[in-house]
Amino acid sequence: MIETLFAPFSRPYLARALVEAVLLGALCGAVGVYVLLRRLAFLTDAITHTVFPGVVVGFLVSGRAGIVPGALVCAVIAAGLFTAIAATRRVNEDAALAVLLTAFFGIGVVLVSRQRSYTADLTAFLFGHILTVDTTDIVVTAVVAVLACVVLVGLGKELLLRAFDPEGARAAGYRITALDLVGNMLIALVVVAAVQAVGTVLVIAMLVVPAATARLLSDRLGVILAVATGLGMLGAWLGLAVSFEASRGYGVRLAAGATIVLVLVACYALVTLGQSIRRVATRAAR
Amino acid sequence: MSKPTGPPAIVFDHATIAYGRTAALERVHGTVRAGEIVALVGPNGAGKSTLIKAVLGLVPVASGSVTVLDRRPAEARRQVAYVPQADTLDPDFPVSVAQVVLMGRYRRVGWLRPPGRVDREAAAAALAAVGLEHRAADRFGLLSGGQRQRVLLARAIAAQPAVLMLDEPFNGVDAVSQEALLGAIRNLTARGAAVVVSTHDLGLAQVSCDGVCLLNRRQFGFGPPDDVLTPDTLRAAYGGAALELGDRGLILAHS
Ligand SMILES: Nc1ncnc2c1ncn2[C@@H]1O[C@H](COP(=O)(O)OP(=O)(O)OP(=O)(O)O)[C@@H](O)[C@H]1O
Ligand SMILES: [Mg+2]
Repeated sequence: MIETLFAPFSRPYLARALVEAVLLGALCGAVGVYVLLRRLAFLTDAITHTVFPGVVVGFLVSGRAGIVPGALVCAVIAAGLFTAIAATRRVNEDAALAVLLTAFFGIGVVLVSRQRSYTADLTAFLFGHILTVDTTDIVVTAVVAVLACVVLVGLGKELLLRAFDPEGARAAGYRITALDLVGNMLIALVVVAAVQAVGTVLVIAMLVVPAATARLLSDRLGVILAVATGLGMLGAWLGLAVSFEASRGYGVRLAAGATIVLVLVACYALVTLGQSIRRVATRAAR
Repeated sequence: MSKPTGPPAIVFDHATIAYGRTAALERVHGTVRAGEIVALVGPNGAGKSTLIKAVLGLVPVASGSVTVLDRRPAEARRQVAYVPQADTLDPDFPVSVAQVVLMGRYRRVGWLRPPGRVDREAAAAALAAVGLEHRAADRFGLLSGGQRQRVLLARAIAAQPAVLMLDEPFNGVDAVSQEALLGAIRNLTARGAAVVVSTHDLGLAQVSCDGVCLLNRRQFGFGPPDDVLTPDTLRAAYGGAALELGDRGLILAHS
């Protein structure tokens, strides 16, 4: 068992994958708490979909090296656009997001479908290929992680007030739209960092599930943040180990990114189950 | 109830307040002085919340003017505290009572810095002032509605404001909690703060406030309670149903 958890990572490509996955797990766990508190799961999903055509165009223009810049351009545009939509308050936000989400995603699919290696590329863009990440990808993720730390530590109290009591924050003189723009940009950057490793589709799970699990376990913001970050890292590590062991030991090919997500979801399910059992037990004890 | 009052804190000068092009509230004219508690009364949709938001600089003044501490509303925000209705906040939000009160200090702390010991002490003192220091560690949403309202008042007290705006703080609050809230508010006015509170409780407006502003899409009276809360002005402001004030209480009569 212990062997399974450590041994594979002596191979350089798996060690790189592990570093990338664990970094990403921590990053997504922490930023996911912001997503949870601001109820931005749908907006995050919309950002992941709008990033998709950027990934495709970047790849078409300059191959692998073009993916992150392409994603970045689209992510920044999406974050700015969605902040503006939320600020006008005149349009129905959900509908506007849904329209943009599908439109951008459609553009991405149309572009990919003109490629010869259509399905292979599509799969990689959507679900990532964590086993082939290189040092550049790790550096990108590390830079985003540092930025996330700076934002969450530096603006933590303002973001908290804005999430809890927007009217109160506005009355205190804070610029809500500016704060939202910072928050949305942060989400967009996390999506960009995750593009190579887990793809644009799975990153939403890495953002939402650890924070949701942590919320089940605690009422305290500090604890939620710590648990979500820890869970993100643990899920990344376990997921990689499980996917490697399955393919090496049992000849079952499990996509690494998806396995990470499944491990995270299993944690969520376990916690939910544990809490239901405890609730039933306390009721029975009375 | 006559007591020495301080300099003008909020001055309404024939102010009309509008959302976009439609005026929500017209021709508000009067002064709230430092050390005073002024009640905003009027039926649903009268414009009480609108007037509070205008003082906070959240809704624009279309004509006339609103002056807060000799400045335009948006420029005075640092010295103005706002107490929203507790039930507008998400009770599931994972934030402790102490954290909520500490939010009142954020503007003083400034950007990029965490609250320090002075801020924690001010927050603790504010929480004690509303009698809830023993609930500091609990989640905000676990408190009762009245207690949550007291926590939000503590948050405002922690900000040490010169002007305090409260939007229906007594809704669903029992008599004991209401007294606790009023006691804490009076402590602030004793230290020179100007307080504006919207309420549907005309008795409270008459008994516990220094001034009353009676609204219904426009101003029907602004002055000492006994001058404003007369049967005629009340009938005019509330329309069909007339309210009459007895010696201390209210009688509701339909005309
Ligand atoms: N955001 C808004 N946009 C446009 N009109 C608004 C807005 N908010 C309030 N109004 C309008 O302004 C008027 C005054 O509303 P306001 O909320 O100030 O009343 P209120 O006196 O606080 O009522 P209540 O006792 O129900 O709280 C109403 O006619 C309302 O429809
Ligand atoms: Mg109101």
